[in-house]
Amino acid sequence: MSQTSIIGSSSIVRGHVRGEGNLEIHGRVEGDVTVNGDVTVGAGAVVLGNITATQLNIAGTVEGDLRGTEALLIEQGARVVGDLSSPRVGLAPGALVRGSVRTDDESPLAAPAPRRPGVTSASRSAAVAPPPLRAAAPIPKRKPVVTAVQPIAVENDVVAEVAPAPAPEPPKERRQAPPPVIPSLGKHAKAKKKRREA
Amino acid sequence: MIGNEMAGTVIAEGLNIEGDLSSEEELVIHGNVKGKLTSSELVSVGSTGVVEADIVGATVSVAGHVTGDVTASERVDLQTGGRLIGDVKAARFTIADGASFKGNVDMEM
Repeated sequence: MSQTSIIGSSSIVRGHVRGEGNLEIHGRVEGDVTVNGDVTVGAGAVVLGNITATQLNIAGTVEGDLRGTEALLIEQGARVVGDLSSPRVGLAPGALVRGSVRTDDESPLAAPAPRRPGVTSASRSAAVAPPPLRAAAPIPKRKPVVTAVQPIAVENDVVAEVAPAPAPEPPKERRQAPPPVIPSLGKHAKAKKKRREA
Repeated sequence: MIGNEMAGTVIAEGLNIEGDLSSEEELVIHGNVKGKLTSSELVSVGSTGVVEADIVGATVSVAGHVTGDVTASERVDLQTGGRLIGDVKAARFTIADGASFKGNVDMEM
């Protein structure tokens, strides 16, 4: 039941791994791993596929997205190319991560949806309210990173996935803007000139 | 029962693998495997193991359910409570009392 499965260092799995219980991967897995339990990817292990588990300990190489329903720890020497998501994310010094990181409970697809109505209502009220409020309104609410185990020293770029702040609404036109200055040789200038002359 | 701690690869009860599993070390299956099992050492299917796959190994021991052809370079042991549906190709093949088997046997290696 909650026994530990082991994929040994000279073993190769080509296909999906699913089920209950803990799993230690020391070999190679080419496929998705979805386990209701803890998954450990050992130092020499290679996983080409997404991993979903309760708690993930990664010391090997993973090319795929990692999702921990409880925690996600990237240890020294690990190499991860993919997105990380878990309520708790830990990155040890010497870990290499390339992808976006999110430290919340929401699933990656469900997350952006509830944010949108908040943004639109904020910008709608901003059209009425004085401008200083606008800057403060659309900051996405997100939990702080709960466990940065040690000071994060990541060799590659960790793109902390932060939703880009929506473009500020153009200020309400109080006065009529002066007509744009058209350079003499602007786009279509010659054509316009010809048309005018014709 | 084969000790888990000694084995190179252990698929515990509750774990399912859909695909090929190949190894150069011992394979112990207590869970489910669909696809193909290959090892240059022992392949052991425990009493809770359910394998729908062809098995290739040096020695193959079956105490659970196997549906698929079994090829072993040394021997195949079908143990009590084991169920094997498929063809067996091995120089030595034993069927324990209480095991069930359906298939052809080829012992000419």
